[in-house]
Amino acid sequence: MKKIIAIQITIFVLTSGTLMGLFLYHNIYDEVQLKIVSVLCLSCIKLNPKTHIQFIFQTANHKAHPDFVLENLTKGPLFIYYTQDACHGCEIMDPIIKDVFNINFDKKSFFYKTVFLYNSNITFIHINLDHSPSEMTNSLFIYDKDHVGGVPMFVVVTLGYDFDVVKPYYTSAYGTLDLDTYEERKEALADMILDGIELYKQNQAGFRIEER
Amino acid sequence: MILKIKRLTTQIFSTLLANLGNIGIKTGFCYPFFYCHACPAAIAGCPLGTIERGVYRGNFRWRLILYPLMIIGFIGIIYGRAVCGWMCPIGLLQRATGGVARKLRHQYAFIKKIGQHKIEKHLRYTKYLLLTGLVVGTTAILGFMFTDICPIGFLTGSVPILILSPGKFTENIFFYPAMIISILFIILILTVERGWCRYLCPVGAMLAPFNRISVFHIFVDKSRCIGCQRCSDVCPMGIDVPNMERDPECILCGKCIEACPYNVIEFKRN
Repeated sequence: MKKIIAIQITIFVLTSGTLMGLFLYHNIYDEVQLKIVSVLCLSCIKLNPKTHIQFIFQTANHKAHPDFVLENLTKGPLFIYYTQDACHGCEIMDPIIKDVFNINFDKKSFFYKTVFLYNSNITFIHINLDHSPSEMTNSLFIYDKDHVGGVPMFVVVTLGYDFDVVKPYYTSAYGTLDLDTYEERKEALADMILDGIELYKQNQAGFRIEER
Repeated sequence: MILKIKRLTTQIFSTLLANLGNIGIKTGFCYPFFYCHACPAAIAGCPLGTIERGVYRGNFRWRLILYPLMIIGFIGIIYGRAVCGWMCPIGLLQRATGGVARKLRHQYAFIKKIGQHKIEKHLRYTKYLLLTGLVVGTTAILGFMFTDICPIGFLTGSVPILILSPGKFTENIFFYPAMIISILFIILILTVERGWCRYLCPVGAMLAPFNRISVFHIFVDKSRCIGCQRCSDVCPMGIDVPNMERDPECILCGKCIEACPYNVIEFKRN
C-alpha cells in the first residue's frame, strides 16, 4: 500500500510539475489554442474546401491589414502561403508553389522574397504557423475569407478601387484547391496571381498607404 | 439508481462542456478523453491529434507530446479510467447504444459468443497497438496519421462541418475510408457493449495503465463475495468483476456496485 501511495505522489508531482513548466515556460496553452484548436489541417478533416476566387475589401475578422502586408504592397501584389508542419495538403502543394514562383524554401521556416513574375514584382511570403512570428500567424484569421480556418491557405493581396479610394483587395484559396492534378492546381494558382497582378497595375497609381 | 443518474448527469455536463466552442470559446487545453478538435463546437484539442503533431515525420516536438500525456497522467493518477465512464462524450454515445448491444447479445447466440470467445481477451490489446502503431509509429515514420481515418474525427468533425456548411466542401481521398471505418465503428458499438472502449480507443489505452495505481478504484471484498456474478453480467466492459483487482479495463462506472446484492463492491480511495 505504501508503495502505491509513493508512486501516486511521484506521478502526481511529476505530471503537475511538468504541466506547470509547460504553461509557464513554453507557452503551450497559446500554441495549442492558436495552432491546433483554431486552425485545422484540412486533410485531417477529410474534406476539401471549394474555392471561389473572388477579390474582396473586407478582411475576414474585420481587423486592419497587417503592417508587413501594407509595407510590401508598395512593391507589387503579395502572395501569402500559410502552412503547418503536420499537413498532408501542404506537402502536395509545396512543390507546385515552388514551381510557380521558381523558388526554394524550407517548409519549416518563415520565408519571404520579392520575385519577378509575369512581368511584375510580386512578394512571396511563406508562413509556417509552427515557426513564424505571431504577427504573421495571426494574419491567417485576417485573410480567412471563407472562414475555413485551415491550412494550406493561399492569399493574393493586391489593390482595388473602392469609392474613390484605392485599397488592399484580396482573395483566398484553400487546401488542394479542390482540383485533382498537379497541372490543374498550378494553372489555378497562376490565374489567381495573374488576376492580382492585373488589378495591381490598374490601381497602383492611386495607392497611398495612409488611405488604407 | 442514484449512481446511475449521477453518472448520466456528469456525462451530459461533460459533453456540453466539451462543446462550448459553440459560443466561441476555444481554449488551449487538450481533452483528457477522445474528442475531435475539428468539431465545429470543440473547445480543446484532441490528445491524439496533438501527439501526432509532436511526432510528425520524426520531427519530435517534445512539448506537444508531453502536454496531452501529462494532462491524461494528471487525471489518470487520480481517477484512473473513470474518465471513460464518467466524462467521455463517446462513452455517452456508447451508453446510448449499450441497450441495443445488450438486447442483441441476449437475442443472438453468435453475438454472445463474440464476447465470450477466448480470443476476446487478446483483442483488448488492439488499442495499445493502435496507439503505438497508428498514432505514433506511422505518423513518425510515414506521416500517415490516425487522424486521417479516425472514425471519431469523421463523426464529430467532418459530418457536422458538412451539415453546417452545405456546399462549401468536397470529400478528399481519406473521406470514404474514414466513412467505412465509421460505419464499422457504429456496427461495433451496436453489437458489443462499449466495443470502442474495449478494443480500439487509443485514449483508453493511455488511461488504462493508471487503473493499477490510481487513487480512486473499485474494490471487491472477495471474502464476502458469494460469486453470484450479477456484477459481471452488468459490467459494460465484460470484466470478471469478482476476480478483478485494479483491472485496466475497468471504467469505474459503478454498475457492479449497484448490482451487488451484498454490497461487497465499493468505490475506494487511498
